[in-house]
Amino acid sequence: VKQGRVLVVDDEEQIRRAVGRALEARDFAVETASDGEEAVALAETFDPDLVVLDLNLPRLDGLSVTRLLRARSAVPILVLSVREEEADKVAALDLGADDYLTKPFGIDELMARVRALLRRAGGQGAPPAARFSADDLDIDLDSHRVVRAGQQVRLTRTEWGLLEALSRHPGKLLTHRWLLETVWGPGYADDVDVLRVFVSQLRRKIEPDAGRPRVIVTDPGIGYRWLLHPVEDPSSEDRSGVSTS
Amino acid sequence: MTVRHDEKGPRAQQPGGVRVSPMLSRLSRSPRRQAVGYGVAILGTVALTAALLPIRSDVTPLSKGFGFLAVVVVAAAVGGLWPGIAASFFGFLMFNFFFLPPYNTFIIGRGEYVVVLFVFLGLSILISALLARATERAEAAEAREEELRTLQSLSAELVAAVPGPESYTSALGLLMELFGFSAGALFVQDPVSRDLQEQATVGAPPGELSPRWDPASQASAAERLPLSVGGRILGLFVLRSERPGLSPPESRVLRAFCDQFALVLERDRLLHKATEAEVYRQTDQLRRSLLAAVSHDLRTPLASIKASVTDLLGEDADHGAEYARESLRAINQETDRLAALVANLLDMSRIEGGMLRARIQSTDMAEILTMSIDRAQRQWPTLAFRLRANGDGAVVRADPVFLDRVVTNLLDNAAKAAADSGAERVEVEVRRSADRAEVRVIDHGGGLPQPVREQLFYPFYQVTERHPRLGSGLGLPIAKGFLSLMGGDIWIEDTPGGGATLAFSLPRAATAPEDP
Repeated sequence: VKQGRVLVVDDEEQIRRAVGRALEARDFAVETASDGEEAVALAETFDPDLVVLDLNLPRLDGLSVTRLLRARSAVPILVLSVREEEADKVAALDLGADDYLTKPFGIDELMARVRALLRRAGGQGAPPAARFSADDLDIDLDSHRVVRAGQQVRLTRTEWGLLEALSRHPGKLLTHRWLLETVWGPGYADDVDVLRVFVSQLRRKIEPDAGRPRVIVTDPGIGYRWLLHPVEDPSSEDRSGVSTS
Repeated sequence: MTVRHDEKGPRAQQPGGVRVSPMLSRLSRSPRRQAVGYGVAILGTVALTAALLPIRSDVTPLSKGFGFLAVVVVAAAVGGLWPGIAASFFGFLMFNFFFLPPYNTFIIGRGEYVVVLFVFLGLSILISALLARATERAEAAEAREEELRTLQSLSAELVAAVPGPESYTSALGLLMELFGFSAGALFVQDPVSRDLQEQATVGAPPGELSPRWDPASQASAAERLPLSVGGRILGLFVLRSERPGLSPPESRVLRAFCDQFALVLERDRLLHKATEAEVYRQTDQLRRSLLAAVSHDLRTPLASIKASVTDLLGEDADHGAEYARESLRAINQETDRLAALVANLLDMSRIEGGMLRARIQSTDMAEILTMSIDRAQRQWPTLAFRLRANGDGAVVRADPVFLDRVVTNLLDNAAKAAADSGAERVEVEVRRSADRAEVRVIDHGGGLPQPVREQLFYPFYQVTERHPRLGSGLGLPIAKGFLSLMGGDIWIEDTPGGGATLAFSLPRAATAPEDP
């Protein structure tokens, strides 16, 4: 049984081959494309569950490919980039790419990202998770309650907005721009300082150790990631009801 | 009307080619004309008297008076006020003595003659005065026009010249020609050290004219004209001559010219700064794109090696022996690619740095070609490489190591072109001419359009902002670099039927035993 279909897009043949072989060895069905136009065409016919996309492509660059893919589907896009392409990488994430890896990367890192993206995509049909819990922290988005060590935590309106924006996309790298536009509105897209201040306020209220955050993790220069696993589904929530209440 | 001041040989052929009389000659004209005026006054009056004397009884006194008046007008017109007045009085006396009865006395016989005589004197003086003033004004206007013309020709010379120190010498030469200086030097202030440095010298050996005023030196009579803009001294003209000192109009023109010249110096200084900034910007840009290209080309093989190695190390998949072998093969290939790139970069930097010396010796071309082709065949197993040697292998004068790098790079280039376009063959052809051996590496790929051919031999030409690619961009420049160290040539031809042919030639070994 295949784990899923992955489209690998890179103009360097050696990279395509190495990544493709590694994915096939882990039971993925793999197709490869060497330029942007081929990638867009294959996305149509091969219908991948995930696209691994190099940004620096001939004919149609990675940003355009991201835009075209996003216009048609929500297929997870993992962007491959090199260090000088910082701006392109952020632009790709802003356009809707889901995560990135910087070359050179290990196959173990790649597999971790691929599996995380596929897992998240698999749960997309279901209603978004509303409950999170870990250690002494319990978050219930529906009833607007955050409990930490048995004590209710009071959050401001903006802090709530930020908490919701982050936790609705567990594991996904959310760019500064996306967070600012979602929580504050389109006019605030560049106020990274405001975002940083509120993230650190929120961390002080919910992180066990605000100096070494494990719930809201920074991706320097790019954005933040919510790393708290949601409580799976209502049935399992019921079964674990004792521990979370 | 152009009176050329006698001039020193070299300046007669000044590039400006403007012919303007030295202002000096114009000023010396006035006293000479005055002398001529006196001559006219005396000789004219005497001649008129002599001419009228035989017929003095037949002509009325009024007519004779007009004759003398004419002499006054001519004398005043030529010599100015004082010759005119001299002619008036002299004429007055002659008129009275010879032509007013009773003749040959100063006694005037009739009352009306007294009126005629004094009206003559008064008119003469009046006419002299008016004429002299008019002439003076006309001369002043002409002198001003001359000043302007001089200034205009000087500034035209300055503006027409190409910016830069080369134009200073010709401007200095023209200046000296116009003002009659025999030697001159231009000193320009160095922007950093603030010292005055001699930039141009005409009519004297460099170093003879000193920018500093030294009462003991023989050049102490020289003019020193500072060149300044906005109160800052930019330079200094030192001009020496045997001529008398400058007249006020000459000083004015010279001063105006110095101001213009100072602006030119300022312009050249700014232009120099702008050029420097541009060169720096371009170098900086090349360095940036080069860095991007190097890091891209190094990172790509590194990335695939890293991916393959971590794949093999990963315990989440079951890798069979065949799988592991194939991965290792890929890793090996990438390592070769990295090594080749590093070798190319090193070659390029050594060629550019001029650190390479060819060890020229008799080298068997066929041997090198065969070795390189075998190596290329192993690297590109899907392509068919074929060597066509015309007769015996040519022996050339070359450094075998360099030659090997040249051939390897050309084969690599052809193999990539063939692989990119799906062609199957790469051919190598050797031809001999009288004194050279020509090698052609022929591919049937996409070919190279004429406009890019020259650029292909410049390092990093393929490097662009969006697509930094270095590896293939170095092969041809390196080949060219090595060949030029060995007296070889390289060029690009079309392959008949499509594709590119890279050809190079090297001198054949003169004493090769195979030679017929």
